[in-house]
Amino acid sequence: MPKRTDITSILIIGSGPIVIGQACEFDYSGTQACRVLREEGYRIILVNSNPATIMTDPDLADATYVEPITPHFVEKIIEKERPDVILPTMGGQTALNTAVALAESGVLEKYGVELIGAKLEAIKKAEDRELFQRAMDRIGLATARGGFVRSRDEAVKIAAAIGFPIIIRPSFTLGGTGGGIAYNFEEFEEKVEHGLSSSPIHEVLIEESVIGWKEYELEVMRDLKDNVVIICSIENFDPMGVHTGDSITVAPAQTLSDKEYQHMRDAARKVIREIGVETGGSNIQFAVNPDNGRMIVIEMNPRVSRSSALASKATGFPIAKMAAKLAVGYTLDEIPNDITKQTPASFEPTIDYCVVKIPRWDFEKFKGVDDTLGVQMKSVGEVMAIGRTFKESLQKALRSLEQGYGGLGADGKDLVDVRSLSADQLPEWKKRVVDRLRMPKPLNVLYLRYALQLGLTIEDLFEITKVDRWFLHNLKQIVDFEEELRTYSLS
Amino acid sequence: MGSKPKHKPVAKPVSEQILRRAKEYGFSDRQLAHLWRSTESTVRQLRLNLGVVPVFKTVDTCAAEFEAFTPYHYSTYERENESHVSSRKKVMILGGGPNRIGQGIEFDYCCVHGVMALKEEGVEALMVNCNPETVSTDYDVVDKLYFEPLTLEDVLNICDHEQPYGVIISFGGQTPLKLAKPLEKHGVRILGTSPEGIDLAEDRERFGSLLQQLGIPHPEFGTAYSVDDAVRAAESIGFPVLVRPSYVLGGRAMEICYNREAVQTYMKKAVDVSPEHPVLIDRFLEDAFEFDVDAVCDGKDVLIGGVMEHIEEAGIHSGDSSCVIPPYMISAANIEIIKRHAVKLAHALNVIGLINIQFAMKDDVVYVLEVNPRASRTVPFVSKATGIPLAKIAAKVMIGRTLEDLGVKDFDFRTVKHISVKESVFPFSKFPKAPIFLGPEMRSTGEVMGISPEFGGAVAKAQISAGNALPVEGRLFISVNNSDKNDITLKIVRDYVRLGFSIVATEGTARFLRENGIESDRVFKVNEGRPNVVDLVKNGEIQVVINTPLGEESRYDEYAIGWAAIQHKIPFMTTLSASAAAVRAIEAQRSESLQVRSLQEYQKEPL
Repeated sequence: MPKRTDITSILIIGSGPIVIGQACEFDYSGTQACRVLREEGYRIILVNSNPATIMTDPDLADATYVEPITPHFVEKIIEKERPDVILPTMGGQTALNTAVALAESGVLEKYGVELIGAKLEAIKKAEDRELFQRAMDRIGLATARGGFVRSRDEAVKIAAAIGFPIIIRPSFTLGGTGGGIAYNFEEFEEKVEHGLSSSPIHEVLIEESVIGWKEYELEVMRDLKDNVVIICSIENFDPMGVHTGDSITVAPAQTLSDKEYQHMRDAARKVIREIGVETGGSNIQFAVNPDNGRMIVIEMNPRVSRSSALASKATGFPIAKMAAKLAVGYTLDEIPNDITKQTPASFEPTIDYCVVKIPRWDFEKFKGVDDTLGVQMKSVGEVMAIGRTFKESLQKALRSLEQGYGGLGADGKDLVDVRSLSADQLPEWKKRVVDRLRMPKPLNVLYLRYALQLGLTIEDLFEITKVDRWFLHNLKQIVDFEEELRTYSLS
Repeated sequence: MGSKPKHKPVAKPVSEQILRRAKEYGFSDRQLAHLWRSTESTVRQLRLNLGVVPVFKTVDTCAAEFEAFTPYHYSTYERENESHVSSRKKVMILGGGPNRIGQGIEFDYCCVHGVMALKEEGVEALMVNCNPETVSTDYDVVDKLYFEPLTLEDVLNICDHEQPYGVIISFGGQTPLKLAKPLEKHGVRILGTSPEGIDLAEDRERFGSLLQQLGIPHPEFGTAYSVDDAVRAAESIGFPVLVRPSYVLGGRAMEICYNREAVQTYMKKAVDVSPEHPVLIDRFLEDAFEFDVDAVCDGKDVLIGGVMEHIEEAGIHSGDSSCVIPPYMISAANIEIIKRHAVKLAHALNVIGLINIQFAMKDDVVYVLEVNPRASRTVPFVSKATGIPLAKIAAKVMIGRTLEDLGVKDFDFRTVKHISVKESVFPFSKFPKAPIFLGPEMRSTGEVMGISPEFGGAVAKAQISAGNALPVEGRLFISVNNSDKNDITLKIVRDYVRLGFSIVATEGTARFLRENGIESDRVFKVNEGRPNVVDLVKNGEIQVVINTPLGEESRYDEYAIGWAAIQHKIPFMTTLSASAAAVRAIEAQRSESLQVRSLQEYQKEPL
């Protein structure tokens, strides 16, 4: 299908200020969308309150509004500019929430503005966890057990049925704000109250814990001809229980068998079709039980996300740019791949290298704050590294962090030189390292190295952390090789 | 390890083979230097001698099945190099690395503008960065992208391969700045202000004597190497003083001390001071107004992009305070003085490119607080407010263009009439128990901008965008410390009363208001009884909070109020100046005059 000629102007909504959970990845996606749609000849109207973005450069749109991204102000812009359509999938949760509000209050209908990229129904199906669960039931995919509540009493009832630990997720918040894990009743009550007040609709999801399961994300695109392509698979090094934004992640997925991967791929295609995202990119998260392989769907974002920025950089496939083209009617087979020029965008990317992303935290600025990682994102940035193997990429990523690390330790910044410990110091250090690894904390990967140096086995560490054995084996190889390197000398 | 050898075996000499394997495992020269008790440069030299150098592969989406055209590369240690070096003139821009507090998207903005400028000038723009969230790592934006760590080793490897004409290190914030001197030592040409000039601005002693030479006032300062030193210096400077370690930037671990005990406590707990890492002590200009200037110098002329006035008074990190262009509480004569100082400093530091200067004004004297001859956090805000793309201009100047031939030499920032306000956004809602009062340590993650013909409207929009929309009616809770029980507070409260707000106050503040003829309802502090102020906040009976910090003894109370306000999304102000600005904003909101206008309209038809 060629591009739409029935529309001439497009309103793109940005994501506003940089906050934890919504950072400059949406400047990246929004900038791509502005550029590509302008090249297609459309008049671009943009709203974003963040002056530090490239997308708000006056050269990138025909009319750039540095104004509040609220239904009230966006309505004023619509009234003044009369765009034909709104593209709300480039500006994170902020843009999506604003578009939903405008649709539901009748503003879009009043001015005859259409939503492109994702329709209201699809957004709601993906974002409203109750509708999402029902949709997953319909296509026979499992989700975590639990339910939605709007009061403490309802929450307690569900909690009694599923047992601790329990995940608390407020509806319609970004980066998991206000969410948490409760291990006992007291924590549960506190977190439900906080969750209810964080949710704009005062609703939280009380859910069975799948902590310790393996976590995956697939970046999926679909067009109007119902072509579906999987752009990238991403595996979390840290198991379920740590927000993806706070996890070390690896692309492509490393520890799935081909059969498991195909199963997940099929599920992703079913999900995007059932939710009904017709044109654009979505991010679908899965959890896999390491003991029996049971797979459940965690959630879906019907828009470009932090992970799609990562997937774009990891594969070279510009998801936001393609999503913008699909939104105006092109199909995947009509768009040439940027990189090869001769293959179409419907070819799924294949990568012959390994990408590692590591988050960057800034806890030293917030004294007294708990640095345990959980379902609410706490990192403020991230780095990515590309290498031929996981080992190479991991070490490159660690030295990219600019926190003084030269790689996986052995850089003069080690907390302890395990080789110099005396026999009676070893048990104390073992205990210290194991205690640390029991809770997910920033850069626990460095402690995994100490643990291996202290003689803990891969099985021990798997039991403590649930980090997949494959990753632990790789760490062990680095540790062993470090030992070998020590037997050499420069002179 | 489990089985330790009884005696040390003789170490084998490093071979090409083992070095190559180490590289394939991702070990950096720095790690190898550590393992072999050597230096990074020795390892590098050995590596070069043995021919263990990286190749650059292309990110091609198709596992090399089809030919790839996209210049997007990463290094690895294999045989075949896929990054072909062109014969064009090449300039490399070093990006900002991972986002963190104090270094965010602003630097990515500057880097991307640098790239655009180079492309416009027909120079091949090479980008090095490792942050996947950014626009600068979009291979569509740059001529050639190296997705690599910003370490000396990795950057030198790319320089060896590409042999660029020069490298721009002043756009990416602290990250590339740290590489300036080491790169220069390895023979890489640094474009723009010399690393020497950047160093001079950061060396307190030398910079202090430069300011003296130029006749520019600055707050007195001292350097301390011990606790006693610090106390002595503080006493000779006079309290209050601002103390901070010399080796971190971005305001980390900075504190304002009002007496010698505070200095002693700070010195004992906050820093481990040593001859390499002294502590810096400045006189703190209490209640001063602060200003920021971003400018570009081409060696001859200086383009002042704009003068920003901070809305909060001195003592709050410039990255956290809100600010306004054009300044609203300074005389034309003092603006002239700021301009003159800026020009003098740009010349004295031999700036080629961007320079940011922080000023303070107290008792009608303009002081220079800090100079950074590089891209600052405020460059994008100034550029959006004035329509002058400073970073782009700076990049062009660095490769030899002049402000005159770019046609911007005579730009006068005073011709911009609309008001732009920048407001910071904080992550406190994510971090229960974090202290919520602003101070010299930066903690905001992002920023928003409000534009309007009037100051009040710009503040109102900025507050709405930051998620702290001000109410147009309701109830104000106010609790101020003793030094704030003054006429300014009275004026602010009277304004709220005039606007129809009812007033709730804690005992001391209520008494102060009553003595001055303003009625208010008294409310309990958290530990005085119930219902207390937190109950009122939770019940939605308060719409706006003014609470200026009282110091350690009531920290718990303040924290409880602040956290309740944050959870219930109620505007929470901790300075009088912000409270006064809020009055103007509420007035603007009530008159319903907040219109939307595009940047293009502001530029085409200035107010």
